[in-house]
Amino acid sequence: MSTDGPVVNVHVLFFAKARELANSSRSNVDVPTEIVASDLLDQLVSRFGLTTIRDNLILAHNESYIDNLSDSILFKEGDELAIIPPLSGG
Amino acid sequence: MIKSEADSERTKLEREISELRAALNRKEQCLRDLSSTVTAAARAQNQSEGNAMKSQGESAHTKLNKDDVARYSRQLILPSFGVQGQLKLKNSSVLIVGLGGLGCPAAQYLAAAGCGNLGLIDYDDVERSNFHRQILHSEARCGMSKAESARIALLELNPNCEIRCHSRLLYSQNAMHILRGYDVVLDCSDNLPTRYLLSDACVMLRKPLVSGSALKMDGQLTVYSYGNGPCYRCIYPVPPPPEAVTNCGDGGVLGAVTGTIGAMQALEAIKVIVGLGDVLAGRLLIFDGSSGTFRNVRIRSKRPNCHVCSAQPIITELIDYEIFCGMHATDKNNPMQMLAADERMSVEEYREKLQAQPHLLIDVRPTAEFEICQLPKSVNVPLVEILDDGYLKRFSNHLEDKALPIVLLCRRGNDSQIAVQHVRNRFPTHFVRDLIGGLHAWASNIDPSFPIY
Repeated sequence: MSTDGPVVNVHVLFFAKARELANSSRSNVDVPTEIVASDLLDQLVSRFGLTTIRDNLILAHNESYIDNLSDSILFKEGDELAIIPPLSGG
Repeated sequence: MIKSEADSERTKLEREISELRAALNRKEQCLRDLSSTVTAAARAQNQSEGNAMKSQGESAHTKLNKDDVARYSRQLILPSFGVQGQLKLKNSSVLIVGLGGLGCPAAQYLAAAGCGNLGLIDYDDVERSNFHRQILHSEARCGMSKAESARIALLELNPNCEIRCHSRLLYSQNAMHILRGYDVVLDCSDNLPTRYLLSDACVMLRKPLVSGSALKMDGQLTVYSYGNGPCYRCIYPVPPPPEAVTNCGDGGVLGAVTGTIGAMQALEAIKVIVGLGDVLAGRLLIFDGSSGTFRNVRIRSKRPNCHVCSAQPIITELIDYEIFCGMHATDKNNPMQMLAADERMSVEEYREKLQAQPHLLIDVRPTAEFEICQLPKSVNVPLVEILDDGYLKRFSNHLEDKALPIVLLCRRGNDSQIAVQHVRNRFPTHFVRDLIGGLHAWASNIDPSFPIY
């Protein structure tokens, strides 16, 4: 990912439709140690082809929902991101 | 000779049995309708006579009888459940929306556990493709309303359970009226409009909503509108575009996956009713059946500016959820109209004019579906390979010949239209068509023995 400052490597997990679009259930990416959540989301969306579900997903950092996309997120090496779109089938 | 006589006798007997069975089903339905009319009339009379009534028309149970003790002994001896838990369950009423892959196991465990009143909503009828996951329905009840079919199976399991069927589509005009009579609502539906509808209605009526969903090998579960927890809109304020939504009919699902989530919905409903353990609210459980893993993600508390559940809601009555989501409140497929009529071809036209001529017949379904059934001489190029041009090399010889017609087909005639658009852009001078209605049209108009799924 495009960055200027220090970066760390984090795991990204994809669920349901996100897994289908990314064509993978997990990946590793380098992210800045501090980044605004919406910028992070945009980078993940463009890198993994998630445009159609950008506005309809849960972005979770270390198993916690990122409430506010204008917040800054602090990352440590080995952190985990999860991209969870809704499932509607039954 | 003898064999053919036996065969025709067998066919005749099978037809007679199925006609008798249908007649029996109709009679049983009449009987159920009659009993429910009588019960409703008796209730109305009781109410007008001013008898003390509970919401379900029964006074609260304060004791367990001998049958209860024997039947529920294994859960009664659980210290956290006990007699008080059983009585709460016996006095509770739970509404199950959708009697499919989630609703069947959820209803089964709730009825078995002694939930006193169950409401069942489903507009749909039982069909053969349901059986692998919708385990309350049976071969003999094919064609019956799913709510009625489930009711019959549940009463066999526990005749003490009071069951009310609502065999119709839930929508904005009837939802508040139906939901009002229940303590807890289970979202076992298969579509987004119903999910938003149930969430909004449960917020307005302050009812906990146990929401489960499943597709392919994945499942999700959480309880909305419970305590300080969020509603569906807090998590997903806007619905995804229709093209990003896959239903079980298209994506497939394994019965054991819906069964896992459905059983857990029953568990959460029991916890809510009895006041047991930590209810799965404010957390989303994510089940990945392919790796056998469960994850819990902490989801947000109420969104301060949520349109429905915040202190200053913008939406205070139910809206039109099909318009809001841009899709129908069923998982039935809506035929797409991307191409003009002269860019398409009916299955009849294909058979008469083209099938015997040289042509390239490309089936764009996923390979797993192509293996189920296929038209003679069709080749399989999944839509993704059409869209990324992976097919060009494989058919380079064929595609050089501009006179060779190209026909694209799929299951119902939706993906084939997308494929035509793509192929035509690349080969503007070729004859490129798709088959209207796809293999479903082929089976219904040309070859009734062709397997459909």
